[in-house]
Amino acid sequence: MYYYIYDSFLNEKTYQTTLAKIETRLTDLGINGKINRLSFLKNIQQIIFEEAKRGVKTLVVVGNDKTLGQILNIVVDLDITIALIPIGKNNHIAQLLGIPEGEPACDILSSRIINHLDLGQINNYYFLSSLVIGSKQISLECDNGFWINLEGKNNLITIANLEKQEGISIDPTDGKLNIIVANQQKKWFKTRTIYSYFAAKKIWLDRRKPVSIFLSDEKKIVKSPASINILPKKIKMIVGKNRAF
Amino acid sequence: MFKENQPPAHQGEADTIIGPSVKLEGDFITEGNIIVDGIICGTVKTAKNLKVGHKSKIFANVTADNALVAGEIQGNVKIRGKLEMTSTAKIFGDVKTDILIIAPGAILCGKCQMGDGKSRSPKPESVKQGKIDLDTHEKNEEEENENEQKNKDKQSPKK
Repeated sequence: MYYYIYDSFLNEKTYQTTLAKIETRLTDLGINGKINRLSFLKNIQQIIFEEAKRGVKTLVVVGNDKTLGQILNIVVDLDITIALIPIGKNNHIAQLLGIPEGEPACDILSSRIINHLDLGQINNYYFLSSLVIGSKQISLECDNGFWINLEGKNNLITIANLEKQEGISIDPTDGKLNIIVANQQKKWFKTRTIYSYFAAKKIWLDRRKPVSIFLSDEKKIVKSPASINILPKKIKMIVGKNRAF
Repeated sequence: MFKENQPPAHQGEADTIIGPSVKLEGDFITEGNIIVDGIICGTVKTAKNLKVGHKSKIFANVTADNALVAGEIQGNVKIRGKLEMTSTAKIFGDVKTDILIIAPGAILCGKCQMGDGKSRSPKPESVKQGKIDLDTHEKNEEEENENEQKNKDKQSPKK
């Protein structure tokens, strides 16, 4: 039983044609289901819990990374398979999962390749892709065993569960969080980026002055101190053959 | 136009890369390959290979399967397989390894133990039975050499 959640931005006229094509294709494939269009007045959490009680097994998110990020934070403890039909901008996660934008995503949904993916957690928020921290002199405590101290300026830290960056492809099924430190070194007119790379299961970020941590999924900012850990095989997601991992 | 990004070096081989801007403190234990270009203080243990870059400094006891050292290590080094020291390498500590390669210019200050000690050839029967005392045998040889030297001095005419 499929249940479709449309993001509120899809009410714009520019997306009507795409949505009509998607709905036709879903009907042809025989996987159409109930549709719920989100708006500011609707409580997403309440809607999803009610549908889960009615026996919905597959929840299809129609929207972008932000929509998926919001839904993941709600369904994390429910026994529901998540699928994604990407539309519009900000569809980086869909690319990593090997799901094409618009109508072709229906075929991926129909093929039902289900993967159990890890989910990252920062304080009370869950994330599928990555976190970005940009600040001077940060200390990260990893796995209660070692500390990563960053010296100098221009360090950009990415803590990723699912990501593909500068040739580094991160697997969201390995049960680890990957820390990528990009250090930019400027010499005259040249800028050189040197990467550091670690893996850890538990990370603690403490700093006297609060640091802004950017959640890539929801485009949200979380303040430190923060406890970051991985929840292995936490969610079931429908993925494409051309996925990055 | 002016941007030149260096791709993450040896990403396919290495599971951990410690860049020059990173200082790592504590017990770092991993199962994969490590490339160090920064600073480590504490303990480093890996089940696979370790590569220490020429600008890196490790103030730690190191355990690895194989190691290529071009930087500085202050601590004991225990390598199960091959330890290779390049001309810029400096190790201040005891080394225990199976195979050791040292390039000219490398510095090694400490005890060095190679192999497991089992490859040592057995002593001949005469030594075991005490017929030949290796210590006295060596002393006798030294005395003979000294006598020969004295004889030569006497034979040579004084000017």
